[in-house]
Amino acid sequence: MMFKHLFKLIWNKKKQNFLLMTEMLFSFLVLFAVFTLLVYYYDNYKKPMGFEYQNVWVVSYNNAYQTKNADSLNNYYEILRKSIKAMPEVRELSFCSFNTPFSNNMSQGRVTYHKKEFYHMNFYTADDSYQATMNMQVSEGRWFNKTDVVAKDKPIVINSDTKEQLFGKGTAVGQLIVNGDDKDKMMRVIGVVQSIKVKGDYAPAGLGLYQRADTGSLRWFGKIMVQVTPDASAAFEGRLYKTMANYMKDSNIEIEHLTNKRTSINYFTLIPMIVLSIVGSFLAINVALGLFGVLWYNINQRRGEIGLRRAVGASGNAVSSQLIYESMILATLSLIVGSFFAVQFPLLNVFDLSAGIYISAMLLAITFIYLLVFLCSLYPGRQAAAIYPAVALHEE
Amino acid sequence: MLKNYFKIAIAVLRRRKFFTFISLFGISFTLTILLVLTAFLDKVVGDSYPDRKRDRSLYVTRLQESGKDGQSSSTLSYYFLSHFVGSLKTPVKLGISTIYEGTNTYVNNKKIAVNYKYTNADYWDIMEYDFTEGKAFSKQQIDNVDKVAVISEDMKSEYFGDIPSVIGKYIEADNVKYRVIGVVKNVPITSYTLYSDIYLPYTVSKTDLTKGKGYLGGSTAVLLAKSAADVPRMRDEYDAMMRRIPMESKQFNKMYSHAESYIRSYVDTGNEGMSGVTIVITTIVIFVLLVTVLPTLNLVNINITRIMERSSEIGVRKAFGASSGTLVYQFLVENIILTLLGGLIGVVLSFIAIQVINSFHLIPNLILSINFTVLGIGLLVCFFFGLLSGVYPAWRMSKLNVVTALKAQ
Repeated sequence: MMFKHLFKLIWNKKKQNFLLMTEMLFSFLVLFAVFTLLVYYYDNYKKPMGFEYQNVWVVSYNNAYQTKNADSLNNYYEILRKSIKAMPEVRELSFCSFNTPFSNNMSQGRVTYHKKEFYHMNFYTADDSYQATMNMQVSEGRWFNKTDVVAKDKPIVINSDTKEQLFGKGTAVGQLIVNGDDKDKMMRVIGVVQSIKVKGDYAPAGLGLYQRADTGSLRWFGKIMVQVTPDASAAFEGRLYKTMANYMKDSNIEIEHLTNKRTSINYFTLIPMIVLSIVGSFLAINVALGLFGVLWYNINQRRGEIGLRRAVGASGNAVSSQLIYESMILATLSLIVGSFFAVQFPLLNVFDLSAGIYISAMLLAITFIYLLVFLCSLYPGRQAAAIYPAVALHEE
Repeated sequence: MLKNYFKIAIAVLRRRKFFTFISLFGISFTLTILLVLTAFLDKVVGDSYPDRKRDRSLYVTRLQESGKDGQSSSTLSYYFLSHFVGSLKTPVKLGISTIYEGTNTYVNNKKIAVNYKYTNADYWDIMEYDFTEGKAFSKQQIDNVDKVAVISEDMKSEYFGDIPSVIGKYIEADNVKYRVIGVVKNVPITSYTLYSDIYLPYTVSKTDLTKGKGYLGGSTAVLLAKSAADVPRMRDEYDAMMRRIPMESKQFNKMYSHAESYIRSYVDTGNEGMSGVTIVITTIVIFVLLVTVLPTLNLVNINITRIMERSSEIGVRKAFGASSGTLVYQFLVENIILTLLGGLIGVVLSFIAIQVINSFHLIPNLILSINFTVLGIGLLVCFFFGLLSGVYPAWRMSKLNVVTALKAQ
């Protein structure tokens, strides 16, 4: 009964309320966008990094030694490995493909499992000591070792995201995955490792599988991961650099620390997030002020009506809650329209985010708008409650 | 008359201080956001240091090869640029440089990260780097495979410390000693085809750039025409050349590469099917719409409220014979005064915001500034705002009935 009456009041001032509602609608959409991004980042942030990056350095080299002879190639890199390993500050090292953590390099492909295709699979290639160098956790099966040379199907290690997508709760070890859709390229899973967030703290790890490095991979490799002791200094880094540069005379060498690379890759997600949050909060303040102003003015306009209601026995609380209800109904109407637009995102699967992220963002935006409208009508409502019927009616 | 409107406007603004504050807040902050955005865009794509001859230059940054089994897209090889692009008739100069790459050097047990790039001699003729000392390397020095280097000011102070001149001194990078022959003003990393800490002759590269006949590699090129009028002809000649060149291998059947203006090459997505220009413009338009629509709605709301408050004044004026046109005019003038006032505050705020952003050094050497273009855009935006948020309320006002307006009191 009371709501019906309130609707009537709103309908009578539809022209003015229409503008207010459009404003609320737009602020809802903006907040929805901002919250979606924030929830998405937070969701990724709270997942584990998957490895220990603190004391790991990446050595890049190019234009390396080329030979047709596999033995001398193996020999060449074995000597390099031994001379680096011999340094007291080096704990472990590993040769691997270009797509190292926190870099912009990617190598993606497609795999097939039970006739189902999975796109955007990251293909990493690494040697036997990679898992130890990166301190990755093996949750099932094992990492590569020398016995894998003789395996019939190509052995692979998958990350936990891939396991969840392909096998769900079941066991992954022993399963066969097809590389692309070529039946001859069968790969057998021998282990599962915790996914590494290769694109930094705020980005998802994505699907990934590791292939074992062989002599052929040494021809195109260009990265060495080196785990050092915590007390490794710049002086040592200079020595490591000289060792490498003197051994690989024709190569350009670069040494980077994963801690720094993590900071800079995070930077690229954090800056847009900060800018959007600032813009979003500016818009929210703007809307709040506008709403407050209009509501406040409306109450001054309706002194006669409010005075009359007080005169016929409505309490101050009843009057103020009527005004708050009125603005809440306005907010609800625009939120219904806004939710209709927002709900299309999970339904049409725009941007490939999980529905949970959109829904949490929607709930957050709805709560935020209600809170904003409530706070903005609180003071004007209290003012209305303070109107003396005699004074208000006297003015008429 | 205008003077009267001005007086009325000021009086109205002072009467309802809270509403004035809301309006000014909305206008000035929106303007600040837009001004900072334009200052950023202006710096990133509009700044013409060191390539001041942009109006007669075209940029080649990418080659895409497509085939049945996929595609590859990358910067080009030195061979492709010198052999094919070098045979064009229209360009008077062809500057070729590799994309910067990183290495380290260690001085007194301190690590310095160094980005280096290799260039040819024409590169220095096209680019107008500001040399604080010394000069660029010549064709002679390149042909002699002299180990000489041009370094940036940042590199100078980081490697050598605070000394007046470094010409003739040696800088060690990548385990090789180079003799410094020039120091240039810094280029921000956002100009990624021109930025570097150390510039070296392409002949001293450890990877022999002139060897091999692959099309893809790590280089980009700038083509300089004789005059701005020759640029379209140069573009056509480039396209004609692309149609003539044989495929690199049998696995590809299509090849794309363009000589484009700086901005087009800057926002290139690396994929022929996706236009970077469209994506960038769409993103900017959506952002600007979001940032402006809400404050405009807010202003319209506030303005309507204010008009209703002044219904008695309007009633009286109408009763004494003022036409709707006069009233709309008056209201628009008032509104534009308000927005311009907000604009003024906005400019001050942007100035402060830009100083703060600069002091954070978010991107090294990217110093934002409010220039006259940015200021002009800001004023235009203000004016547009004033009209936009004033038209609807003014129209509502002019429809006000004299009798009801007077009776309302």
